[in-house]
Amino acid sequence: MKKRHDLAKRILFLYLPLFVLMVFILFPFYWTFVTSIKPEEELYGAVVTYWPRSVTFEAYSKLFTTTVNFLQAMKNSLIVAASTTVVSLTASTLAAYAFSRYHFAGRKVLMSIFLCNNMFPTVLLLIPLYTIMRRLGLLYQPASLVLSYTTFTIPFSVWLLIGFLNDLPMSLEEAAMVDGCNRGQAFVKIVLPILVPSMVATGVYIFMQSWNEYTFAMMFTNNDTRTIPVALKSLIGQLGVQWDLLTAGGIITIIPVCIMFFFAQKRLVEGLTAGAVKG
Amino acid sequence: MKKRNLAKKTLAASMAALMAAGALTACSSGSSTASTTAAAAAETAAAETEAAADSGAEADTSAEAVTIKFRYWADNTDYSALMQDIIAKFNEENGKGITVVGEEQPWDGGAYSENLFTAKMGGGDIDCATWKLTATPLFVNNDLLADLTPYIDAWENKDDIDDNIYNIMKEAGGSDAIYVMPWNVQILYVYYRPSIFEAAGVEVPTTYDEFLTAIEKCTMDTDGDGKIDVYGFGMRGSTGGQEPWGSFIHGRGGSFEDMTTAESVAGMQDFIDIYTNGYVPPTAVSDGFNEIIANFKSGLTAMTIHHTGSSAGMEETFGDDVSAFAFPAGDGQWTSMGDTETVIFESCENKEAAFEWVSYLASGEGQKMWCEGTGNVPVSKSLQETDFFQNNRFMVASIEGQSYAGILPILDTTTEWVATTWPNTVAQALTGQITAEQCMQTLQDGLYQ
Repeated sequence: MKKRHDLAKRILFLYLPLFVLMVFILFPFYWTFVTSIKPEEELYGAVVTYWPRSVTFEAYSKLFTTTVNFLQAMKNSLIVAASTTVVSLTASTLAAYAFSRYHFAGRKVLMSIFLCNNMFPTVLLLIPLYTIMRRLGLLYQPASLVLSYTTFTIPFSVWLLIGFLNDLPMSLEEAAMVDGCNRGQAFVKIVLPILVPSMVATGVYIFMQSWNEYTFAMMFTNNDTRTIPVALKSLIGQLGVQWDLLTAGGIITIIPVCIMFFFAQKRLVEGLTAGAVKG
Repeated sequence: MKKRNLAKKTLAASMAALMAAGALTACSSGSSTASTTAAAAAETAAAETEAAADSGAEADTSAEAVTIKFRYWADNTDYSALMQDIIAKFNEENGKGITVVGEEQPWDGGAYSENLFTAKMGGGDIDCATWKLTATPLFVNNDLLADLTPYIDAWENKDDIDDNIYNIMKEAGGSDAIYVMPWNVQILYVYYRPSIFEAAGVEVPTTYDEFLTAIEKCTMDTDGDGKIDVYGFGMRGSTGGQEPWGSFIHGRGGSFEDMTTAESVAGMQDFIDIYTNGYVPPTAVSDGFNEIIANFKSGLTAMTIHHTGSSAGMEETFGDDVSAFAFPAGDGQWTSMGDTETVIFESCENKEAAFEWVSYLASGEGQKMWCEGTGNVPVSKSLQETDFFQNNRFMVASIEGQSYAGILPILDTTTEWVATTWPNTVAQALTGQITAEQCMQTLQDGLYQ
């Protein structure tokens, strides 16, 4: 009797709310997928169908064969996001280490400037950055996006990593230095391995920001260097939206992100919580 | 304490320096592209045109290879492919060594023009672009657009485009100069159901008064249950409704310049009357584009106002039982014109070659390919006369309206007026909270504040 009561309680207070929550979270993804495989007449028909009467993958094929050129856009997005992650993560890790371990004059001022940078709306930076990229000859090249993205990824990443580094006891490096390491070796051999979960979390943040960014990508790219968000946006016209292509593009876009999260999930959680606990 | 103050001062100084540097970069880039005055621009253009006219056929042989960078948006992938085809055809056939490089940019919910502005202020190397009239004042005020008047005056196909279209282009630029090259238009007309007209015993109206009578007569209780089954007119009371509404105001001789005149108020009163008399669906106050189209397609309304963008769907639903007529004349006559044009930027180094391209889109093969492919109304009168357009009743109604079609005054207040002031104020008037006079006074104040 008690067991049955416990089961009912678990269903009512655990599984049912969990199920409702999962439906709430997953339904948009399901709807996106279903829309992408519906034939046009069903998509724009008066009757709403929750599963297509006939399945078609025409939208997926159109994405790669029409002027959208989605494959090129995916390649560009990958190059930009991966490069931004490497550049930003390298700069942020070194900067965060310096801010955390060296107490030099102007340290707080510099840290504040890093924060202030994020207060400026992106739009404000557009014209100056456009001019800079044009004069540097980087306009319409992926490098222009990598440089632009570092303007907002590095400051945030530095602060994220400082939180973790401040929690890391100095005694670990001091012990290494007593054993004969210099400062650089202590950083590479001791600090860096411990920092990995935090770097994974920061890296995922940088990658996601670069992968999804639209405003800079729209301004600094052309047909050859266009990234996924711009390619998807080109499917929203003045007179209507090509829902089938847009949703198919959306589904393809989230695949690499899902794969990345799948592998990085454990480290991501470790990294995100590590810097948050203050002793 | 002193150290802290010094740090604060340093921070403030560096912030100020950074902001000033950013602003200066933006200003200097903008001024570099916009330093030429409008007068100088006109002079240069005139000189270039003169030179072109003098050189005549010589240009064909002596012309060097020129590349024109053209920015455009496409509403779907088919239109995008079509534009690429037109560009390829032009590059192949122009015979003057002109190569157009087309760069597509998303419409971005209307931010296309703002993005273009950012690119031009940043010194972007775009030579010409597709255009929306509403963006003209911003670009003209920053000296970013080339004055096309001398090019158009010297253009052999100038008369192939209706004078009214040129006048609208001038109006958008706020002077007698033409900064915008016509390309294609969407002119509003009245859809009607011939079968309902027949049942109601009305003919296609030829005057504004007949139109009002037709609205009244087409409002019918078809099954005798005491309830209205067909409403005479599908009124758009929500955002965007100012376009069909404008035809009523002008029908009584009113205008947008002064909406408080007795004529304008009389037009507003007509608009209110057809609502309060029950000649339009009761939901009209909040009906937008989707609702008026759905109501017409379901047979709930006998007439509604829109452009060729919805004609394929109408034909699909009704076959021959749908037709169109141009908004009829009363004391005045007006219909709204949607627009897509092209412009040449002042920074373009080969304006003559760029004009070759935009004129190809305005009256050449480019015009034909684009308008036949997209179903938009051509601005070229000779193309309008061809069978493709003359055999389409919706195109005919559109073309008929082009001589009196117009746009709302383009002011700083227009966007806000269209989005908020118009729907809110008209909703109050329709529901009896304010009178026609009060409504028009509010609209006048809102637009010309």
